[in-house]
Amino acid sequence: MKVVEIMTKKLETIEVDAPIYDAIEKMIDKRIRSLLVKPNDDKDVHGVITVRDIVNKALAKNLDLNKTKVKEITSKPLVCVDKGMDVDYAINLMSKFNITRVFVNDGKEIIGIISLLDVMSAELIKRAKEGHRA
Amino acid sequence: MLENVFFGGKTEQKVIEKIKKHIQILCAASECFKKALEDRDKEQLYCVPDLEREADSIRREIVSTIYEGAFLPYLRSNICRFVEIVDDAFDLLEDAASELEYVGLKLDQEIEEDCIRIADINLKMSEMLLIAFETLFGKGDLREKTLAIRIYEKQVDEIKFDLIKKLREKEVRNFWHGKMLSDFISFHTRISDVIEDASDYLHIINISLR
Repeated sequence: MKVVEIMTKKLETIEVDAPIYDAIEKMIDKRIRSLLVKPNDDKDVHGVITVRDIVNKALAKNLDLNKTKVKEITSKPLVCVDKGMDVDYAINLMSKFNITRVFVNDGKEIIGIISLLDVMSAELIKRAKEGHRA
Repeated sequence: MLENVFFGGKTEQKVIEKIKKHIQILCAASECFKKALEDRDKEQLYCVPDLEREADSIRREIVSTIYEGAFLPYLRSNICRFVEIVDDAFDLLEDAASELEYVGLKLDQEIEEDCIRIADINLKMSEMLLIAFETLFGKGDLREKTLAIRIYEKQVDEIKFDLIKKLREKEVRNFWHGKMLSDFISFHTRISDVIEDASDYLHIINISLR
């Protein structure tokens, strides 16, 4: 199974200079746990801000959420997999870096995201289909 | 031996085959609806009411055969209820097709993309329902099939949440266009709930067989 088959295409983004509070609002409104952080300029790369980053790097340290910018707690560079890679490869990456999601790229473009929950769901559906054929 | 008592008889087998046919038609109608949506083709959309009528006549045959004496009496109402729930999915699909026709198959791109994704998941759910039904009267783990259906339903729920938000932000052209669009989305997004209900009923039938 290829990552492109099970990835979520909907990517929510945020500007690097936005306050962390904006990121929190967006995550709550959209019911998601991470946001893709846009590059600052042409030389910059994409980053990611997760609920874990917000809790560990901002809330736990009592930072002012309205004054602290997203870029201060953004993780860079992104851990990505090519759209043609197998899901197993993505699982290995998640395990190696102790993360729950990786981004999917098509060349230089980020085209999706794949989370552990996506992997689990896809695997269970695959088993339900295969179990029937067996 | 037990299999023979519950569903090994001729009339029971006849009902089982007809229910399979009923769900296969649901798969065909879902596929046809998805294709019409993708191709924005009004002509293709007409296969939905055609298939619904065919399914309706099969449903009548199933219920008649059951009450002519197929299956033990305590199983009959649950099997009939399952077939009726599948029929509810047909009704929703037909209503969605009808509203889509009124809307003129013209949806905004972002709404259209979400609707096609939902149509695709609805099709996969119908196919999984068929697999689950075959598992009930064959070998395999029904629980994993119904779980797969629940996973699909959650996926539709997530798209629905976004879709409704997009709809609320849209300007309404006129009352009737707004109503038809809203009704279309409502029918289209409820199909997955009904298929999930049908799979829950398979679980109930499975328990009653123990």
